[in-house]
Amino acid sequence: MNGPQMEDQLNLYGRSFSSRLLLGTARYDSPSLLADAISAADPAMLTVSLRRQISGSKESGQSFWNLLRESQRAILPNTAGCFSAREAVKTACMARELFETNFIKLEVIGDELNLQPDPFGLVEAAVELVKLGFYVLPYCTEDWILCRRLIDAGCRVLMPWAAPIGTGQGPRNPRALRELRERAPQITLIVDAGIGLPSHACQVMEWGFDGVLLNTAVSRALDPVRMASAFATAIRGSRSAFLAGPMSVQEIAVASTPEIGRPFTFESPQHPLQL
Amino acid sequence: MFVNVNGKTCLLPELRTLDALLRFLSPAVPFAVARNDEVIPRGTYEECVISTGDRIDIVHPTAGG
Repeated sequence: MNGPQMEDQLNLYGRSFSSRLLLGTARYDSPSLLADAISAADPAMLTVSLRRQISGSKESGQSFWNLLRESQRAILPNTAGCFSAREAVKTACMARELFETNFIKLEVIGDELNLQPDPFGLVEAAVELVKLGFYVLPYCTEDWILCRRLIDAGCRVLMPWAAPIGTGQGPRNPRALRELRERAPQITLIVDAGIGLPSHACQVMEWGFDGVLLNTAVSRALDPVRMASAFATAIRGSRSAFLAGPMSVQEIAVASTPEIGRPFTFESPQHPLQL
Repeated sequence: MFVNVNGKTCLLPELRTLDALLRFLSPAVPFAVARNDEVIPRGTYEECVISTGDRIDIVHPTAGG
């Protein structure tokens, strides 16, 4: 790795990561497929959750835990399934005790159908969790006022959706996402949810987003390991493209080959001594 | 004594502390525990007295997005 790449790290609450991909661990067909996808994606963090033990799942729970430890990746617990700020705060406190980390992916869901974040519950929970010393990564919409309230609450990282969880639709509201990037230049922005293809990840990374969080796009691909690798390559490439400073879009064609000196063309007559 | 464990009411022998309850239940490792919605830090289970009617939640890592 050369110098500039070494310097270009993802920063989450003072912790640096060389990868800009965060990977979810759900919906893989087998633990070995998950382990291989992690190796291929080389993610900064793995998102996980916490649940009561289901009878008969004692061994699978322990093998999942062993897999996480062997991956040696940073853990990002979530509050998935919470529909109120109170529930989310309690779940986050349990997650901190279980995973021994202050990082929390804050989810407060407001609608069962499209799993859209509840902006009011999200801000209420974020305020409380920041007070409790958590590093909050809220899963939010691209709404600027909501994002501003979360920033005011002390969130230094925001995770706006591209589209509803698990849909793979890609960025539904590109203009608002780009405006958010412009208006919050000091905040780490990670697009979370709704990404289906590496080209979707490229889009948001080329707009200057700092990272992408994926799950279903990898786990439900026909070949999850290959897709994990495709996303990792795409995110690295599009981050480099953003840093390289893309050209500005023009309204009319601009020839790239010089016009002057083209053969077989006739210019206006000139005095022979000027040739 | 009756204790609600993970949403189910259980008839248990008289167990004075959370530590004794966890030894009795032997949940898969790792886990985190809350008593009546309050997280109990590991290392304090022996000091945590439980009473009949308490709600105990025991959670484990699981896959998530």
